[in-house]
Amino acid sequence: MKSFIDQTINFYVNASKKLENIIFFGVILFIFKILFTIRPSSVFITINEFLVFITLGAITIYLVGVVKVRIVNPIPIIINMGIFNAIIFFFSSVSTKFGEDSVLSGSQKGLFKDIVIVFVVYMIIFSTSYIFATLKELFSLRQKKDNSSIFNTMVVFMVVTSFANTVYKWDSSLSYIRDAFWVVTIILIFINSLKVAWIAFLQKKQKLYLLFLSVILFTIFIFNSIFSFDSFLAEELVKFSPALSFFVQIVMLYGAIYFGVIFFTALFHLPTAEVFDRKAEELSSMMDLSNLMTQVFDFKELAESVTTTTNKVCNSDSAWLLTYENNQLNLSAVTNISIVEAEKISEILLRENKGKLNEVKTLHHEDFRIQIQNDTKIVKYKSIAFAPLKVQNKTNGFLFAAKKDNYSFDDDDKKAISSYADYAAVALENAKLIKESLEKERMEKELDVAREVQYKLLPHSTPKFDNLETAATFIPAFEVGGDYYDFFNINENLLGFVVADVSGKGISAAFIMAEIKGIFQSLAKILQNPREIIIKANETLKHSLDKKTFITAIYGTIELNTGKVSLVRAGHTPVIYCNHNKIDLLTPKGIGLGLDFGEKFINNLKELEFYLKNDDILVLYSDGISESKNSKFEDFGIERLTEVIRENCDKPIDEIANKIMKEISLFSQDYKQHDDITLVIFKWNFRNK
Amino acid sequence: MAEFNVNVRESGHIKILELQGYLDAHTAPDLEAAFTKLVDNNQFKVVVNFNDLNYISSAGLGVFMAYVETMRDNMGDIKFANMKDSVFNIFDLLGFPSLYEFFNDENEAVKKFDVIDGTVKAE
Repeated sequence: MKSFIDQTINFYVNASKKLENIIFFGVILFIFKILFTIRPSSVFITINEFLVFITLGAITIYLVGVVKVRIVNPIPIIINMGIFNAIIFFFSSVSTKFGEDSVLSGSQKGLFKDIVIVFVVYMIIFSTSYIFATLKELFSLRQKKDNSSIFNTMVVFMVVTSFANTVYKWDSSLSYIRDAFWVVTIILIFINSLKVAWIAFLQKKQKLYLLFLSVILFTIFIFNSIFSFDSFLAEELVKFSPALSFFVQIVMLYGAIYFGVIFFTALFHLPTAEVFDRKAEELSSMMDLSNLMTQVFDFKELAESVTTTTNKVCNSDSAWLLTYENNQLNLSAVTNISIVEAEKISEILLRENKGKLNEVKTLHHEDFRIQIQNDTKIVKYKSIAFAPLKVQNKTNGFLFAAKKDNYSFDDDDKKAISSYADYAAVALENAKLIKESLEKERMEKELDVAREVQYKLLPHSTPKFDNLETAATFIPAFEVGGDYYDFFNINENLLGFVVADVSGKGISAAFIMAEIKGIFQSLAKILQNPREIIIKANETLKHSLDKKTFITAIYGTIELNTGKVSLVRAGHTPVIYCNHNKIDLLTPKGIGLGLDFGEKFINNLKELEFYLKNDDILVLYSDGISESKNSKFEDFGIERLTEVIRENCDKPIDEIANKIMKEISLFSQDYKQHDDITLVIFKWNFRNK
Repeated sequence: MAEFNVNVRESGHIKILELQGYLDAHTAPDLEAAFTKLVDNNQFKVVVNFNDLNYISSAGLGVFMAYVETMRDNMGDIKFANMKDSVFNIFDLLGFPSLYEFFNDENEAVKKFDVIDGTVKAE
């Protein structure tokens, strides 16, 4: 007994769709029925009714779970419902025949008969449960609000009415109780039967089918609820459980009313079904497109989907899409039309409209003469519609749809094409922007590569000598300029140095920079004379520089034992020479590398030679320093640079470098650095050992 | 911010390009377009007036380098005139004065063309 209670509680707590519950209660009911066939005691009747309804409830809850997952497509479920309905009808009509003349007739009360009856009743219970579960799910199908309370109220009244029927069977003077509940139940059934909004969402074919089904179901329900209740089965059912028999009758009535309502609803929906279908199709195409928008970033793929769905939305036969690429109108996608035909037809149509189109336009009965090589082909279209793809008042292309069949595009089609074109325009623009941003990201990665190349080509440290201090600072610009500096230990006593600046920016500048590093590195090993090295470098560059590119450079050597400096300047910024607060700008004549490859370059290149005295400072820099800008677009300029050097020339050279960089960053703090900054400083400090 | 303008004038059979504003990597294509047009029209004698040019970057210089050969191969030239000191300094540091002719006044540059033309005609 305890386990039974537990089971009951468990069942109602879980309300799960467990098959075990059904079997458990079914078996208990079965045993109960076989053991106590007919006991007109009120206790037994009450237990009997409760057992029946618990079983009924368990089956219904289980079936609700089964039906729920399939109700999205209601027609097959309704057909199933019809089948169960027919089973009930079949049993009730056949039972009368059997009941009259078979061994099962009233007077014989054998065990066999009881078993058969119980099984038949189980069939009825199961069928009724299925029908009721389906009615419940149909009720809540496509409901925007939660109306379950009104349905539950109805269920409660249905059950109470059923029980009232049992009471009535006991004592027929209490019929008014049953009748009162009965009236309320009928009213609630009517109210619930009006929830048939889901019919509107069916396609036209489905609506027709439903109309047909509803006639059949209505008829069977009526039969089951009225006529079959004089049957033998009905009598047995009443004996089995008066409440159940009445409940079945109520469900049948509910079904009859519900399908009566469905019949009229479906009938009234039929004339508008086609329009509704088309709107639904348009909507789902739009939704498809918006899904594509978020999933497909490939322009080509998206364009193809646009033309395919255009045919769906506009009921057209062919569709194609033109989009602007670099101000050129190109065919991006075609569906059901050859590329040549699509190109020619759009050319003709756009020429007629002078390439300007502000809204969707349709043409009817058009014949197009299309010349393909030497053949002239005539292509006939019943109707052609084309719409501009507009995003923020900018036309990005045109969408074409063409029909070959009997019906021309109507106003609705025009609207559909127009709104679809708008939507497609945004989707395509989106894809384009994503592509661009990916491209930009790629470019930025390339710049990173260029920056890395540049860093790797520059010396990692500055050389240290007894008599000569060196310092170097390099700050790359965002866009990677082509600055380059290097030191070459030519021999124990000779240091070579170079500072160069490639015109242009980015990858190409980084490449040239790599090349000139190679050139200077190898030339420094072969030649010692700076002038010869620069002339050779210019000759070598002749074949690799394009016309617009040039390189400014300073190449020089310092003798580490004497302080003798030899240097040449090929178009580069002057060398700043500082001797105890006295500043000199060293600007020996010289043309930039790559500006001329002949005599003029050689003849104009002058070498400068001088000896460093103690505490002399040489500053080499790139124009990234002198052309650093402030917010007023003024240059930092050479005067500011020399002034900083003059003020700090007696300080250690690292400090001088820091001071210069600090001044530049202070000056140009409001302006983005647009060119590489290179600074190389030498300080001579002769110590006699 | 950085605006640039090219204005093309004619002085006899010589074309005069008036530059205005800032000539850098962003505005250089405008000047290139102007030169391409001259070459397409077989006009190879060009004087560039720098009077209103405030700034030139290496990309700007590259434009002259790209076209000067074509002009010279066709009996023409690109001559520079009316340059501000700040702009001339950039050209000067790079050694342009050894390769191009610079004039204080546009008319002098035009005259220089005429003189050469005169000698050609005399021959």
